[in-house]
Amino acid sequence: MKLKKAMGYGMVAAASVLLLAGCGNSSTKSSSSGNSETLSFWYGGDADTAVKPIIKAFTKKTGIKVKVQSIPWSQYIDKTLTATASKSGPDLMVTGTTTMPNSVASKSLMDITSTVKSDQALNPNKFFAGSEATTKFNGKYYAVPWYVETRVLYYRKDLLKKVGYNHAPKTWAQLYDAATKLSKRGKDMYGFNVDAAEPTFGFMFARQNGATLLSGKKTQFNQAPMVGALKYLNKFVQNGASPKQDLKLSIGQSFGGNGRVPMFISGPWMMQSVKTDAGLKSSQWGVAELPKGKANNMSNTGGGNLSIFRYTKNKKNAMKLLKFMSNKENQLKYYKTSTSMPTLKAAWQDKALSDTNIQVFRKQLNSSQPMPLIKQWDQIGQNYLKAWEQIALNNASVQKTMDTFNQQTEQLLNK
Amino acid sequence: MGKSFREKLIPYTFVLPALILLALFSLIPIVIALVISFTGMDITGLGDLSQVKFIGFQNYTQLFKDPTFLQSIFNTGFYVIIGVPLVVILSLTVAILINSGQNRFFKFMRLIFYTPSITNTVAVAVVWTYMYNPSMGMINNFLGKLGISEIGWLTDPNVAKYALIILAVWKAIGLNMLIFLAALQGIPRSLYEAAELDGANWWQQTWYITLPSVRFSIFFVTVTTLIGWFQFFDEPFVMTKGGPLNSTNSVALFVYQNGFQNSNFGYAAAGSFIMFAAIIIATLIQFRLQKKQQGR
Repeated sequence: MKLKKAMGYGMVAAASVLLLAGCGNSSTKSSSSGNSETLSFWYGGDADTAVKPIIKAFTKKTGIKVKVQSIPWSQYIDKTLTATASKSGPDLMVTGTTTMPNSVASKSLMDITSTVKSDQALNPNKFFAGSEATTKFNGKYYAVPWYVETRVLYYRKDLLKKVGYNHAPKTWAQLYDAATKLSKRGKDMYGFNVDAAEPTFGFMFARQNGATLLSGKKTQFNQAPMVGALKYLNKFVQNGASPKQDLKLSIGQSFGGNGRVPMFISGPWMMQSVKTDAGLKSSQWGVAELPKGKANNMSNTGGGNLSIFRYTKNKKNAMKLLKFMSNKENQLKYYKTSTSMPTLKAAWQDKALSDTNIQVFRKQLNSSQPMPLIKQWDQIGQNYLKAWEQIALNNASVQKTMDTFNQQTEQLLNK
Repeated sequence: MGKSFREKLIPYTFVLPALILLALFSLIPIVIALVISFTGMDITGLGDLSQVKFIGFQNYTQLFKDPTFLQSIFNTGFYVIIGVPLVVILSLTVAILINSGQNRFFKFMRLIFYTPSITNTVAVAVVWTYMYNPSMGMINNFLGKLGISEIGWLTDPNVAKYALIILAVWKAIGLNMLIFLAALQGIPRSLYEAAELDGANWWQQTWYITLPSVRFSIFFVTVTTLIGWFQFFDEPFVMTKGGPLNSTNSVALFVYQNGFQNSNFGYAAAGSFIMFAAIIIATLIQFRLQKKQQGR
């Protein structure tokens, strides 16, 4: 009897261990902020091959050693949170533009306003306004823009030609028309991908339809512009011009070959995948600026900033590395190793960026904005995906779903 | 009997390391989580603890108004009610079948059934995601050859739960089978020989000798499996992210989403405490039942 009782306690204890293990798998290892000799740099991504050359050059020039730790984006927020909670982390880090509001709210990042204002090399005017906006909160600077991305339309030139389009769709009406025609090619064929896994997708179309997403603490998700945009997108889904859900296909299966999904919207990172994995000739596909809605063809700006961890003991050297990495030469070097686009306007005059496809992204940047920079936006994006699921899968009323979603969001903002 | 103080102390020194680990990594965090669950702690509070406010039971009351949470409670219940009996029955059946012979074939089958449980859930889940792929996956291809049309294993809200259960059961059978096998091999041969002399057939032997003899193992497996299924997490986390239409979201995943994606630490902690309570209650009920059975 006693043994069993003990075992019971043991099991309950084990259960609680598992419970906690289930909640968090984040561990803080190797945070060497105490060591003043070696800088520690956190980098979002699966491998550090793209930044290694820049870091090596920095060590060669200054003699300061840098330890690069690459953390997959999927775990990056977890890691940053743990670092902040324990007040020990990297010296310099890449912060995704969408997580900036969170990192600023959790006071993970150092206020570097004085340096940004006094140092010509970091002058905000030298960077794209959309990127600069993601570094500035309440008039203070917490980061320096490093790379930028925006979304454009990827399309199959050869397949669109067959349905009478010698150019990419330029308006919403053309996009819908082309997609419908393309979807009539046969069973399991689609025209355009209404991305059901991308939390910014509906908001991006809403802006093109004239929506102001957020003013103060009021959201306008149930107003005509956003509702209209979602109704437009839902038309694709309900008429079979777009898959209802993520098809779980590789890019070669969806975009290559007979092109089950011959048009989709994505960022510059897809360029490399399409080139290497889709098995297409360069004459078969292209990228184009987004089709224009009622108001504009506004895209979504993202990217990464360089920021100094608030609890670093190595501010001086971290700043040195930050400056080194954000100069023109190194932004271009990073573009070459990673195809992430430079945020310095001056860098774009370089030959390396003369490629016609990249120039499309450059033009799209003129009409591109980040999502609203508030700490709740992550959650709003996730809630949007759930609301969109209701619309796409259950064909729920767009107006009603958006009414609920809008109410839910305002509760969240007023909490 | 006068044991000296030192002698009494000795056993405690043996369990002390385990106790310290337990306290550091589970008891203390549990207490902290309990405190957090009464606060509105979010991302701002993480950087500046002075901003954390106590809000009493507000998180808990809000939880029971949150349709996502209620849905995930329902889903978790569904997983437990379908999954636990399946695991217990199937692994016991497999163990009895494997125990019925001694040659190489049976040893080989033991290996086959055990292999899934030594693999990593996340890795396995990724492979199964490929197998479940609606148009390219192995399972649908195979079904297509039999003339069954495509099933949206992970994309159809009515099917996705079963798809996850199939994977989890497949993975859980191995370890539990081993526990049962050990218990089966501990049953004295003489019992069966006596029954045979009395003319009992295979069914009767299984029913009256085997099952009662492995009763404690069944209890053990049920408790551990139950606890495991209450915390169903890896499979939906890797394969469906709780979708489609929230149909595969579990309480554990809900806690993760709120804590680590939305940074609502207080809210997530409250959710995890409800799960904690549910597990303890379920386990206590089982202990009661077990005691009753033994008293009989």
